[in-house]
Amino acid sequence: MTELAALAGLRVLDLTGHRAQFCARLLADMGADVIKVEPPAGDDARRIGPFLDDLPHLDRSLFFWFYNLNKRSLTLDLNHSRGADILLQLARSADVVIESFAPGILDRLGLGWDTLHRENPALVLCSIAPFGQTGPWRDFIADDTVLTALGGMLYINGFPNHAPVRPLGLQAYHSSAYYGAIAVMLALLARDRTAEGQWIDLSMQEATAAAVEHVAGAFFERGEAEPRRGTLHWSRFFRVGKCRDGYIMHCTLGDWTSLIEWVKSDGKAGDLDSPDYEQVMYRYLMAEHLFDVLDDWVKDYPRDELLERAQLLRQPYATVRPPEALFDDDQLAARGYFVEVEHPELGRKFRYPGAPYLFNGTPWRVSRRPPLIGEHTGEILRDELSMAPQALAALFAEGVI
Amino acid sequence: MAAMPLDGVRVLDFTWVVAGPIATRILADHGAEVIKVERKEPPQLGNRKLGLQCDLNRGKLSVALNMQHPRGVELARRLAAKSDVVIDNFSARVMRSWGMDYESLAAVKPDIICISMSGLGHTGPRSSYVSYGPTLQALTGYTMLMAEPDGTPAGYGYSYADTCGGYTGALAALIALWNRHRTGRGQFVDLAQFEAVTSVIGPALLDIAVNGRTQPAPGYNSQEGPAAPHGVYKCRPLDGDDDRWVAIAVRTGPEWRRFVTAIGSPSWASDPQFRTLYLRMHNSADLDANVSRWTAEHSAEDAMAILQRAGIAAGVVENGIDLCARDPQLKERGFWPAVATARGTTTNVTGIPFKLSGGSGKVRSIAPEVGENFDYVMGELLGLGRAERDELVAAGAVWP
Repeated sequence: MTELAALAGLRVLDLTGHRAQFCARLLADMGADVIKVEPPAGDDARRIGPFLDDLPHLDRSLFFWFYNLNKRSLTLDLNHSRGADILLQLARSADVVIESFAPGILDRLGLGWDTLHRENPALVLCSIAPFGQTGPWRDFIADDTVLTALGGMLYINGFPNHAPVRPLGLQAYHSSAYYGAIAVMLALLARDRTAEGQWIDLSMQEATAAAVEHVAGAFFERGEAEPRRGTLHWSRFFRVGKCRDGYIMHCTLGDWTSLIEWVKSDGKAGDLDSPDYEQVMYRYLMAEHLFDVLDDWVKDYPRDELLERAQLLRQPYATVRPPEALFDDDQLAARGYFVEVEHPELGRKFRYPGAPYLFNGTPWRVSRRPPLIGEHTGEILRDELSMAPQALAALFAEGVI
Repeated sequence: MAAMPLDGVRVLDFTWVVAGPIATRILADHGAEVIKVERKEPPQLGNRKLGLQCDLNRGKLSVALNMQHPRGVELARRLAAKSDVVIDNFSARVMRSWGMDYESLAAVKPDIICISMSGLGHTGPRSSYVSYGPTLQALTGYTMLMAEPDGTPAGYGYSYADTCGGYTGALAALIALWNRHRTGRGQFVDLAQFEAVTSVIGPALLDIAVNGRTQPAPGYNSQEGPAAPHGVYKCRPLDGDDDRWVAIAVRTGPEWRRFVTAIGSPSWASDPQFRTLYLRMHNSADLDANVSRWTAEHSAEDAMAILQRAGIAAGVVENGIDLCARDPQLKERGFWPAVATARGTTTNVTGIPFKLSGGSGKVRSIAPEVGENFDYVMGELLGLGRAERDELVAAGAVWP
C-alpha cells in the first residue's frame, strides 16, 4: 500500500481569485482535497495568459494551470442564494476555507466568519486581502506590482537615478500564499488541542514587507532608507560580473586566500593581494573597488569554466542564467524536479515545475492535472451533499452551477 | 497568556545566515521553543540586539556547543532526543559526520522531524556546491531577468531566495508536525533552496515548458493579464528627495475611464490611440509619457490617494522610511512591534503578516546573546548539575 499523503483527510474550499490561489495549491500538493470554487463564468485566472499554443480559452490558461494543479473544480454562483447555501453546506464538513474577496464581501454573501463559525466551529477561515481586514487602507485595491511598491520590495531594486525594477514572477502574491499556508497549518495545529477553528486575517502588503530581507533592519538600526545599488547586494559581498560569454555572480564570502591565489596566477590581482583584504570587514568596505578588479579578471573567462573552477575551490560563485536553463540543469534532472503531467483531453503531456521540498515519508506529488472548468461540480454535489439528479439539473438550468 | 499553536514544540536549530533563521523565527513567534546551537564566536553578521540580526533571531534561545569536540556533539545529540524538530542548512555530510543525520537521530527518537535546508539538496551531481541566496537567484533566472530595458542586469537588491526558502522550511515543519499528530511518525525533509525558489517563478516556467517560449525580462509589463498604464511613474520630490515614484495598474475599460476622470480628463486621454486596452498597450510609450507628466505634478502620496479614491490600484514605491515610519496602514495594524531590550529601551522588529482570531503570534524577546541560555539548556533540559557543567566547560565541549 502506498503511504497516505501528509495532509490526507484535510478538506479545503478555495474561493480565491488569481491573487491568492497559490495558497491552497501548496496544501493540495501535500495531499489536501482542495475544491476550487469558481463562478459559473470561470475563475478570473482562466482569462490570464500565457495560453497553451497562444490560443486564449478558459481551459488553456497556463496561469490557471500553474496555480491550480492538484485541485478539483466546482462552479457555483455565490451571488445566488442557492449557491451561497450550497457553499455553507460544504463548509460544514470542510476543515479550511480560503478566500480573497474584498473585505466585507463574504459577510454580504451571508458567508462571513460568524456564520461559518456557527455552522462549523472547527472550521479555519483564511482571509487574504491586499491590506488585511482592518485599517485606513482596508478597501484600497492593488495588483502584484502595487503590492511590491507598498511592501518595499520595489524601491531597492535597480540602479540609483534609474527607475526601480520589478522582480520576475508575482512575488507579492507568492509570499502571501506561503504565509497563508503557514497560518492555516498553525490554526490546524492549534485546533488539535482546542477543537476550535480560527479566522486568519492576512495582509498581502505585510507579507510582502516581511519578505524583503534587510530594509526594516536598516531603518530600525540606523534610521536609514536602504538605497538601490544596481547588482551589488546590500551585504556588499555579491555583485554581477561580465564574462566573455555572459554574466556571473561574484561572491567574496568564500575562502579568500584560495580565490586570490587563483586571481594572482592569472596576473589580475592588482592590489587585492594586500593582507588587508583577508579581513571580511575590509572586503565589505572596499566592495566597489574589489569587484571592479574582479570584473577585469573574469572578463576573458568563459562563464561555465569560471563556475566549475570556482566551485572546485569551494568559492560560492554562480552563473547568471536565464530560466530556460533550468530545464537542462543536471542537478534538477538528477533529483527529478520537473514532473510530467498528463492532460488526457488534449492527448498531451507537459513538464511542470515540481516539489519545493522532498519529504521522505509523505512526499509532494501530482494527484491530478489542473481541473477543467466545473469538471467536478456534479460529482462533488452528488457525493458530498447527496443531491438528486433532478436537483442538480435544476441548479444547472438556473445557472447556479 | 493565550495558548500558542506551537506550545510544547521544541526545535533544535543549527541554521545560520538568513533562510534557516527565517524558518525558525516563524516557529518561535508561534510558541515553539527554538534553541540555536552555535559556535562561541560565530561569523560576525552584525549586531544581535538591533536591526536584521535581531529580526532574524528574536524569540529564540542560544547555547554554544563545540561541535569539534566529541562531548559537544554528544550534548547536541542528547538535545535532539528531547526535540521535535531538528533543522539545519548544511550540506549532507555535516550532520552525518556528527551522527546527527535523520537515520541516526530516528534511532534514538523515532518520531523526530529533520529538515535540512541546503543550497542545492542532499543528492545530485552538484549537491556539494557552495551557495548563498544571491547566487541561487543567479542560477534560477531571477537575476538575469531583473534587468534594464537593454538587458543589463540591475538587481537583486536583496535575497528573495533566502526569505522564500525560509517560508518553505517553516511550512515543511508545520506540515510534518500535523502529519505526526495523526500518524505518530516523523520524517526527513530534504529542502533544496534552489528548488524552493525555482518553484515560485510561477507560470513563466510553464510558458517555457509548454510553449517553448524564451522569457524576456518582465520590465513593467503586467505579469497577470493585459494592463496599461502599468508601471512606476516619477513623482514630485518630497522634502528635496526626488527619488519618489508611484506604481499604477489600470486594466479594464471602466478602470481606464475612472483613471482619466481622476487625473482631470486631460485632452490627450481622448486620443484614438488610447481607445482600447489593446491600443493602450500597443502605444504604451506615449501613454506612459503622458501619465508621467501628471504624476510629476503630484507627490507620490497624493497620486496614490487620488487614484485609490477613484478605485484604481496605485501605491507609493515605499522606501525604508516610508515603510517603517510613514505608512499609515502598517502603523495602524501594528506591523512593527516594539520589543524590550536589555537596557530597558525598546527596538522595533518585523511583525507577523497575519492575525489569528484565537490569539496571534507574538515576538517574545529580542535575539539572545551567543550562549545566553546555557543554564536553562544544560541544567533544566539536560539535567546536568553544576559540577558536571563546570567539567564540560573545562573540557572545552561547551562555552558558558
